Amino acid sequence: MTTPLILGLLAGAILSGTSLLYATLGETIAERSGIVNLGLEGILLIGASVGFSVTAASGNAWLGLFAAGMAGGLANLLFGWLVVTRKANQLASGLAMMFFGFGASALIGARYVGAVIVGLPKWRPSWLAGFRWVKATTLFNYDLLTWVAIPVAVLVWWALFRTRWGLGVRAVGESPAVAFAAGRNPAVLQYQALSCGGVLGGLAGAHLSLSLTLTWSEYMTAGRGFIVIALVIFSKWNPLRAIAAALLFGGAESLQLQMQARGSLISPFLLDMSPYILTLIILVAWGGSRRLAAPAGLGRTFYGSE
Amino acid sequence: MKSGLSVSWIVLACCLAAPPAFSDPTQLIIGVVYVGAINDYGYNASFHQALTQVATNLPGVKLVEVENVPESGEAERVMEGLVQQGAKLIFPTSFGYQDSARKVAKRHKDVAFAFAGDGDTAKNFGVFFGSTQAAMYPMGVAAGKMTKTNKLGFVIGMPIGYALGNVNAFQLGARSVNPKARTVVVVTGGWSDKAKEAEAANALLDQGCDVVAMHVDSPKTVIQTVEARGGMSIGFQSVEARVLAPKGWITGLGFTWAPYFTELAKSVITGRFRGEAVYQGLGKMVAIAPFGASVPPDVQDLVNTVAAKVEKGFNPFTGPLTDNTGNLVLPPGAKVGADQMGRMNWYVDGVIGKAR
Amino acid sequence: MPEGGLTAVLRRSTALRTTVRHCGIGVGALLMFAAILLAAGKDPLKAYVDTFHYTLANSYGFSELLVRMTPLLLAAVAVALPARLGLINVGGEGQLYMGAFMASAGAFLLPTAPRLILLPFVAFMGFMGGAIWAAIPGILRAAKLVNETISTLLLNYVAPLIVSYFVFGLWRASENSAYPQSSPFPDAALLPSFFNTRIHAGLLIAVVALLAYWLLLEKTRWGVDMRAIGGNAEAAQRLGIPVPAWIVTALAVGGGFAGLAGMGEAMGIAGRLRQGLSPGYGFAGFLIAWLAGGRPLGIVFMAFLFAIITSAGDTLQMTQGVPYAVVNILLAMILFIVLARRSAGGTSK
Repeated sequence: MTTPLILGLLAGAILSGTSLLYATLGETIAERSGIVNLGLEGILLIGASVGFSVTAASGNAWLGLFAAGMAGGLANLLFGWLVVTRKANQLASGLAMMFFGFGASALIGARYVGAVIVGLPKWRPSWLAGFRWVKATTLFNYDLLTWVAIPVAVLVWWALFRTRWGLGVRAVGESPAVAFAAGRNPAVLQYQALSCGGVLGGLAGAHLSLSLTLTWSEYMTAGRGFIVIALVIFSKWNPLRAIAAALLFGGAESLQLQMQARGSLISPFLLDMSPYILTLIILVAWGGSRRLAAPAGLGRTFYGSE
Repeated sequence: MKSGLSVSWIVLACCLAAPPAFSDPTQLIIGVVYVGAINDYGYNASFHQALTQVATNLPGVKLVEVENVPESGEAERVMEGLVQQGAKLIFPTSFGYQDSARKVAKRHKDVAFAFAGDGDTAKNFGVFFGSTQAAMYPMGVAAGKMTKTNKLGFVIGMPIGYALGNVNAFQLGARSVNPKARTVVVVTGGWSDKAKEAEAANALLDQGCDVVAMHVDSPKTVIQTVEARGGMSIGFQSVEARVLAPKGWITGLGFTWAPYFTELAKSVITGRFRGEAVYQGLGKMVAIAPFGASVPPDVQDLVNTVAAKVEKGFNPFTGPLTDNTGNLVLPPGAKVGADQMGRMNWYVDGVIGKAR
Repeated sequence: MPEGGLTAVLRRSTALRTTVRHCGIGVGALLMFAAILLAAGKDPLKAYVDTFHYTLANSYGFSELLVRMTPLLLAAVAVALPARLGLINVGGEGQLYMGAFMASAGAFLLPTAPRLILLPFVAFMGFMGGAIWAAIPGILRAAKLVNETISTLLLNYVAPLIVSYFVFGLWRASENSAYPQSSPFPDAALLPSFFNTRIHAGLLIAVVALLAYWLLLEKTRWGVDMRAIGGNAEAAQRLGIPVPAWIVTALAVGGGFAGLAGMGEAMGIAGRLRQGLSPGYGFAGFLIAWLAGGRPLGIVFMAFLFAIITSAGDTLQMTQGVPYAVVNILLAMILFIVLARRSAGGTSK
């Protein structure tokens, strides 16, 4: 009796964890460069809305996915213009981006509410489809985004920790002045990090509208952007830990629904609190040693060469 | 600083704001407040389509519609705005608008309100709803006949009495033709949380349900999710939802509000509106959608026979009934009428879920 | 607004320039938004005319602006007060919900108490709800464990879930459709409203809060201490100012104001506790305080502006069929222009 529960739990965790993972990876890159985007919720919404609208208009989900990534990247570049070039306050700019995302996604998607689309194609290797419990769940029946989610996380980790570019990004995140002195251009690196992060955020949003729900509706992200802000901290700004973090919190959601489907009710509200409370507890447990993990320059503004 | 600015704005406003034109032959402006989008293939679409029909059929009737209005203090502001726009008949179409609608109605005795919900009526405040609960009984019959796993799924947005009634009648109907049938309920916690609806539908299928019904604003996400996984679905809110499931569609319930709304509009135009409580079921406000291609003729006949029985007044909530914890909730002969449906707070035996 | 305050501002030579600059920002944003509306096939001029017509040129519309401003003012003070110490409170939204939650608890605890006792008690509970919710990050920060920006942000999302837990559970109304909301509050717990509008006593509380904030900063020794901490916390500590105690107090008192905003929304508007109490007043309060640079008059002006813009959303939808949410673009335009003009470090960090 517990096998279907565990498999269902896992299937559900992957289902809701995919978009969380992409968004977490995107925000991790941005925060590694020292920039926190509180408006991630807006980026996700823009991704979901643009992805759905382009798919509905063109009939091609791949085009929609591409457009969502581009839109997410562009939106983050706008954010970058504010916080990097204009050196605006990051928190206020982030909240402004959130409001912008609410509005822009509603305007773009308004025409396509209720449209019926063919979502991202899903594919399950035939040798796996033979297993009874695999067949009974969504396990291994995934779209491209889910299939490559973990490789993408590894790629992001590699880019951040094993390349010269990543070294530069992290150096900027620790101390723009030092990076500048070492001959790096902090602004350029931050723009690059933000655009990568935006693309991933856009894809995360698109996964919600193009694969999970096949629907666009206003505010459909329902706070996932903020869960991700917590997940980035929870995973200690590490793309590999982000995989576990996304699965864990996707799993919390899944657990609640699977338990309901088995007739026992855990309050959904208490479970929904867990990402935030766990993150806070972990932060307290790290205590003052936060600097070991968080980019030291996070949230600060770099004024130039001084 | 602020005063100077607002004065200049008021001056500007007075220069720019031309008085609204009264010369057009509009006889009645109907204001509608929606909690979601009018193209949702569901609850909101059912109102939008019915009222559009009213506006095209009756000359001089104009619609002013406001979508995505939260069930908070915001709703009161929107309804006041509709009154200012000249609306003389207002449809607050979601349960959560109740307090706001009543406050606005008290302030504007000359504006008629038709609230989709329950509670007291007043001279200018009527309540109405489609009694879907009894109509869910034949839906359960269809599901009970079609299921192979004997596990039926039901996604509901919020555990309110009406939703519980739908689930219960569904289970009673299924049980009447299939003693092994059980209904598994998952609550998403909101009428329109799409991602959760998709996850809920998947969770039900993961647990072995092969027929899924729903009571959320838009059946679109659930039906599409179930269809993609090869399950069967029973639709709700709008009969058009069947296009979303070319393979797995069994049947479904939709609302047919247009005749009642036409009456209401006429009564406001002629000044004869009186707030009443109107609950109509199958054959009036509620209709059964066409069957899907996979439903065999004998099942179709059976469902139609049961539906005809319900239309003639059969009440599935007739005692003795025990709830799913073993308590006798309805003694022999007792009934739950459409007007008490909102207070239902138990699941009938055979439903897997917790009511409270 | 007190007459003395206004003339004092006008006397300053920068006042006129400030006004002109603010108008310039407003006009710029309106033009950009007009371009977006045009592109969407709508009539921007009619949109603006209608908005004026239904908000400023109309007594009901104007009263609703004040209704909308009430929680915004309090939520802004909740941010501005700790900001004087260099503390960043992004948690107004959660503090607001906790205020509403505790105020409701108070009302349900003493359902038969006379108004004279219940109203102050409920207000006290509302204040305490927000204060406790902000004191947690304050303590964590004072103990140098967790940065208050992150902790206030995280707690934002816990508070509405606590409210949901209770309205779906213990406090769930039993009348009619058993909708997930609490039973109505006892009449004695409801804030009095004025002029047959929805303007309620919360507005008075907000004005008093603003005045208290201004007095505290400008006229008391505490204000000097706070500025000293904001300037250089370590130096202030060496001067004998109890910095950790100040951090907790400033955040808690700020949170208390946000809690009062929540109390006002529950006791003044909704009449019961329900989900979705606030459409983001806490976040808007952060932006208002930031845009105003923490200045009391600036907060009034910006809250007024926010109220007008959000009202425009209603009008736009009713007269032009533009989704309400689109008005957020106008809000964002104004913010973008201000953000791009002003470099960081100016006010809050």
